[in-house]
Amino acid sequence: MSSESTDTATIALRDNAEVAEALGRNYSAGFVTEIEMTGLPPGLDEETIRQLSAIKREPEWMTEWRLAAYRHWLTMPQPDWAKLKIDPIDYQALSYYAAPKKKPKSLDEVDPALLETYEKLGVPLHERAALAGVAVDAVFDSVSVGTTFRKQLADAGVIFCSMSEAIREYPELVQQYLGSVVPTGDNFFAALNSAVFSDGSFVFIPKGVRCPMELSTYFRINAQNTGQFERTLIVAEESAHVSYLEGCTAPRRDENQLHAAVVELVALEKAQIKYSTVQNWYPGDENGVGGIYNFVTKRGDCRGAESKISWTQVETGSAITWKYPSVVLRGDRSVGEFHSVALTHHRQQADTGTKMIHIGKGTRSKIVSKGISAGRSSNSYRGLVKVEKGAEGARNYTQCDSLLIGKRCGAHTFPYMEVKNPSAIVEHEATTSKISDDQLFYCRSRGIGEEDAVSLIVDGFCKQVFRELPMEFAVEAKKLLEVSLEGAVG
Amino acid sequence: MSQALPFVEAMGAATLPVSGIAWLDASRREHLDAFVAAGLPDTRMEAWKYTALRALAQRRFAAGDARAIEHAVDPAVFGLPGVYGPRLVFVNGVFRADLSMLDALPAGITLQPLSQALRQDAESLRFVLSRHEAEQGDAFVRLNAAMATDGVVLTLEAGAKPDAPVHLVFLGAPAEAELAWHLRTIIELGEGAELALVEHHAASGEQQHFATLVSDTYLRDGAVLRHVLLQQAAAGSSLIRRSRLQLGRRAQVSSHVLELGGALARHDVRAELAGDGARFVTRGVFMPRGRQQVDTQLAIRHQALGTASDSVWRGVADQRGRGVFRGAILVAPGADGSDASLSNKNLLLSPNAEIDTKPELEIHADEVKAAHGATVGQLDERSLFYLRSRGIPMAEARALLTVAFCRAVLDDLPVTALREHLAGLLALDLPT
Repeated sequence: MSSESTDTATIALRDNAEVAEALGRNYSAGFVTEIEMTGLPPGLDEETIRQLSAIKREPEWMTEWRLAAYRHWLTMPQPDWAKLKIDPIDYQALSYYAAPKKKPKSLDEVDPALLETYEKLGVPLHERAALAGVAVDAVFDSVSVGTTFRKQLADAGVIFCSMSEAIREYPELVQQYLGSVVPTGDNFFAALNSAVFSDGSFVFIPKGVRCPMELSTYFRINAQNTGQFERTLIVAEESAHVSYLEGCTAPRRDENQLHAAVVELVALEKAQIKYSTVQNWYPGDENGVGGIYNFVTKRGDCRGAESKISWTQVETGSAITWKYPSVVLRGDRSVGEFHSVALTHHRQQADTGTKMIHIGKGTRSKIVSKGISAGRSSNSYRGLVKVEKGAEGARNYTQCDSLLIGKRCGAHTFPYMEVKNPSAIVEHEATTSKISDDQLFYCRSRGIGEEDAVSLIVDGFCKQVFRELPMEFAVEAKKLLEVSLEGAVG
Repeated sequence: MSQALPFVEAMGAATLPVSGIAWLDASRREHLDAFVAAGLPDTRMEAWKYTALRALAQRRFAAGDARAIEHAVDPAVFGLPGVYGPRLVFVNGVFRADLSMLDALPAGITLQPLSQALRQDAESLRFVLSRHEAEQGDAFVRLNAAMATDGVVLTLEAGAKPDAPVHLVFLGAPAEAELAWHLRTIIELGEGAELALVEHHAASGEQQHFATLVSDTYLRDGAVLRHVLLQQAAAGSSLIRRSRLQLGRRAQVSSHVLELGGALARHDVRAELAGDGARFVTRGVFMPRGRQQVDTQLAIRHQALGTASDSVWRGVADQRGRGVFRGAILVAPGADGSDASLSNKNLLLSPNAEIDTKPELEIHADEVKAAHGATVGQLDERSLFYLRSRGIPMAEARALLTVAFCRAVLDDLPVTALREHLAGLLALDLPT
């Protein structure tokens, strides 16, 4: 197995050398095509956005859309209400379009700590290289796998492509839905994203189609290097069903400091969208140096009657997480769900939760949030359940549990409930506890080591959420928690 | 702040009270300037997210009632069964010796109006009264620090345990203008002292005054305070209060609150469990109806080992009433063994009423038990059906169940006569 992979890597290395040589030749010959551009210099102004839009060969309306968002962004202050300590971000120091990053040439150049983590997670060897960002993508099976998928999806009528491609190929669809759930001026980071988003996924499931497979960014060939500002749009037409997986279970070393993504989901009548995320961006080291700022706006719009949108997230990475996947329950009897496990360790900070906005009659929502804090981290649940006047018979149930491991971490709960309809029933419950000595003692007396006992208990604590994840994700998520909690006890 | 709001302008233009005490006058000036500079909080401030002050900001209030001493007041408006002890009465912010009962105070208790205490020994109040109220969003506390000339100073010597409850009455009475008044309360319970205290906001006739009350309560080690707060301010009046409590080792506070009156009634409670084993229990009901806005902000800080807090609050919003509740529990690092629980259940009875509730937990220690819950809903259909099937008319059945819903907060009130009286008030205040 391992010798096989070495062979592959060698081939890759050789291929890469050839590619590099070819690129170099192009450049020396003075041929600079868009693909070879090395990205934009740091800084942000209208010109940067025009250039970015030009590089991506976008139509005029898209450029204008971005500029409008940018102008709005300029008028907005960075939000400071979350329970997060954020060092000032210099938006002019960032580069808003990066050419493919400098990649390590083989696994030998990858941080051994990272490889060790992959080993523990049991990530298949050929995937490890991809996750570490080794530039060997082209030789992997995933390409052919990807293309097979594409064929199957196209037969079903499903559109699944990159956002850039969608803007060029399906402009009417994009124009109709982009920004219709998260408007360009929605919040500071969404406005920034709208102005400078680099790429992302576009999914369109036509009326009555049940997507034949679970879609995931991992299988989309151009998923790599979608950059700091992803934009994802998923539209499920009447009675369509789709399940979408985002992220990868192994940590990705990413040099980017700021990751401001926007995800929009639109569910028309009787449509169902299930969106699962396992986020494990680089969390920084034990002392809080480095790591990603993950400032994400995710919102689903249950536009049609009896539609359903469900968010499931397992958040273990990022130095700072600011993220509130929400559902606007517009259609009568529509359903919104949010299942979350958020784990923070060392100096990580998370302020995450959800919003459920009940507008339609008989709308229902359910929130299950499990927060685990260890080390010196801070983990907050912040949620809003809002029942508008017309939401006759709306129903919400919220459960937030926090688990503390260690004395120097913090676990916080900030639920907001705003109810304007007298027939609505809204319930919130929250508890905070630590792993009890009794539980630990019980496990240890049965010969289970302390770390294993802790992961066993944590696993039980999170079970309710893991159940919502697709099977293979659930298995990896469990391992991921174990890895993330290493060194938390004792 | 852009151009001055009428409210701020009127307050800023009022003549600052002069005490002749240098530090106090300096502090008043400083706080008034700070108030005028910052203006009123708006809904972008988290603490005022659900209570808009736009209407208040457009109003002008006259400072002080020159004739407050003359208003005829029927003692029945503040009489409470079981509350027969020492009494201090203020009408439109002015102390009324004729209505108060300060003679024959039990041993170990000092009770006098703030104005009198300042004349006798201002220095002993300096620490509390010259405190800099700079915190953001504290517009009304600053205003109070600038303008309050009277109030209550209540001190219990160590070990003093008077039997009779102390009754503090804050009355609004009709006057020629819409008035603003400000009162200040300073209460100290010495080691092991025990006190029952009834804080009573009432009205002697309709008016639309604006009032602030800031109170500081210090409980030394082992002190016990049983507190009842009955708020029956006039339907058109605005009442903004801030209560700060500091609990020493094994000190205990139990507080029963009925928020019934006022057009705008806001109460910020900040309890600091500073000593090991301190215990803080609150029980409260708020019942906004008409166009009332009742806003309770409870912030409990567990700062020492083995501290406990237990809060049970009920809200009933009817007609166009709006009930706002925030219950924030903070367990500071090192406050191990803390036990905190909070529950806020609400009934929403009308399509134009609104409830906004926000229970919060902020936990920085791990040997902790903390839980909170909040609900918004309706009366249980099955219970209604049960009552109706036994021949009880709908309106009565609803009233019965609503009283039962609220009564839970009065159950552990020790004074039976008062408990029954308050329960009666709940029933009276119910929509029919």
